[in-house]
Amino acid sequence: MTKKEKRSNLILFIVGLIVFIIFIFPLYWMIVTALKSQVEIFQIPTPLFPENLTWEPFKQQLSASGDTLRGFKNSLIISVGATGISTVLAIPAAYGLARFKFRFRKGLILFFLMTQMLPSTLILTSLYIMFSELGLLNTYLAPILADATLGIPFSIIILRTYFISIPKELDEAAKIDGCNSVTSFFKVMLPIAKPGVIVAAVFSFVYAWGDLIYGITFITNPDMRPITSSIYNYVQQYQTLWNSTMAFGIVAILPVILIFIFMQKYIVSGLTNGAVKA
Amino acid sequence: MMKKKKIMPAGTKAGILFALPAAIYMLIFVGYPTIQNFILSFKHVDVFTFSNPDKQSFVGFQNYVELFTGSSILAAAIKNTLIFTVSSIFFQFFIGFGLALLFSKKFKGSSFFRGVTMISWLLPVTVAGLLFKFMFASKGGIINQLFVQLNLMEQPLEWLLDPKLAMTAIVVANIWIGIPFNMMLLITGLTTIPEEIYESSKLDGANKIQTLFRITIPMIKPAIMSVLTLGFVYTFKVFDLVWVMTKGGPINATELVSTYAYRLSFEEFQFSKGAAAANILFLILFAVGLFYIRLINDEEEAM
Repeated sequence: MTKKEKRSNLILFIVGLIVFIIFIFPLYWMIVTALKSQVEIFQIPTPLFPENLTWEPFKQQLSASGDTLRGFKNSLIISVGATGISTVLAIPAAYGLARFKFRFRKGLILFFLMTQMLPSTLILTSLYIMFSELGLLNTYLAPILADATLGIPFSIIILRTYFISIPKELDEAAKIDGCNSVTSFFKVMLPIAKPGVIVAAVFSFVYAWGDLIYGITFITNPDMRPITSSIYNYVQQYQTLWNSTMAFGIVAILPVILIFIFMQKYIVSGLTNGAVKA
Repeated sequence: MMKKKKIMPAGTKAGILFALPAAIYMLIFVGYPTIQNFILSFKHVDVFTFSNPDKQSFVGFQNYVELFTGSSILAAAIKNTLIFTVSSIFFQFFIGFGLALLFSKKFKGSSFFRGVTMISWLLPVTVAGLLFKFMFASKGGIINQLFVQLNLMEQPLEWLLDPKLAMTAIVVANIWIGIPFNMMLLITGLTTIPEEIYESSKLDGANKIQTLFRITIPMIKPAIMSVLTLGFVYTFKVFDLVWVMTKGGPINATELVSTYAYRLSFEEFQFSKGAAAANILFLILFAVGLFYIRLINDEEEAM
């Protein structure tokens, strides 16, 4: 490396670091606030780092009310359910749309693309009526069924690009070995498309976990609310209890952070393949 | 040859069979409600007639007419949604593009910085909204404190309670959430440009700005178009962020079409009017969506 290159490298690093610090500040602020006392939060000027670290807000959130953990459990049930439905339906659909030519293929792809762009408010009222007639309001099934509609189109689009990229010869080889299209799908295609399946599942989970509108509309029973809905209701009640709210928020983002830490490369590939290529 | 002819029709059937369950699911839970919503918007359904289909009468375009006449909140909501969307996308795009140029360079820490930046996009919007609600709070909010300490403001502002300022606050929050999406898609675009093109333009004596406008931007035009149209669609239908931060207030200053439709249906229980408002949102998105799909088709045909 020449001297000039070293210097420009250092400048880039410093610029990158500054941008990074500014961008990540809100997250830092959330954590710091969760560790402050209410007194320190409203102190002027409020300290950038808590002077008396307190775990009180977390303790409160995790024990007394029970809202947090219950919401966490409810969200887990709903998100896992929605992810299950979405992945199970999307894998074969993506395979069919990638591997076979049939009359309505292009129309179906367009249909899935369009459903991804629809606003939730458009279907919300009719879904509400439908679920109320089926007696599904205030059951986990209502948000599960609705959240799966967020994951399915995205998963199909992502997985289709994976299946397209698998060489056709593999299909034919499997056929020569006596596989029909169903067995070759399970024995040959699925194992190769595994990274795509993980991407699809991760995104379906993240979508379902982040949902607010279906959660607050279909579930009014406080015991069954998903975590986004219970934190929203918590804030309505305890307007300025910011340290507890932020502690609640940290619990609510935990699964997403874990997914991010362990599956970063899948997320990057999902984000880019899902949007640009389609 | 004979064998192939036999396989093709079987394959055709298999293709449909594979795709059918997902298609049926989406038809039941998205297609059918969309049509129902359309029908609902031409009826009069409120809290009294909600559970009694026999008493729901068709009223033609009355819901739509009511939405647009008088001191129309919907008209204001459409205007707000456009302001919200255009200003969000403008800043998301330019900041995202800047970050893409920066973080696509290889230097110490670049991939780490780039990676962690993505977190804001993954967070549940509800939590991000509350976080920004707190940061913009008039008491205890860090943004007021910062501006006062830097002498940019004399006293704290009521960001979320002042109709003139609330829009700024929700736009800032939305920009923060959307930057990673713009950045990642643009970085992917940037990595498709072969290094040799930059080298030869350097040999031709092009400076950095010329390279940016003559080479980089034209080369990643498809990625730019994707980011902008998709960004438009995703931003135009934002609901949770605004519902959590301002609930459309103060005095409808941040009312978007999505929050207004929700309010009509689930706070005022004017279900058919809410359905009509949601249809307006749909029509606008549909137009942009068609544009995006044409874009993708052109791209696929070019490949």
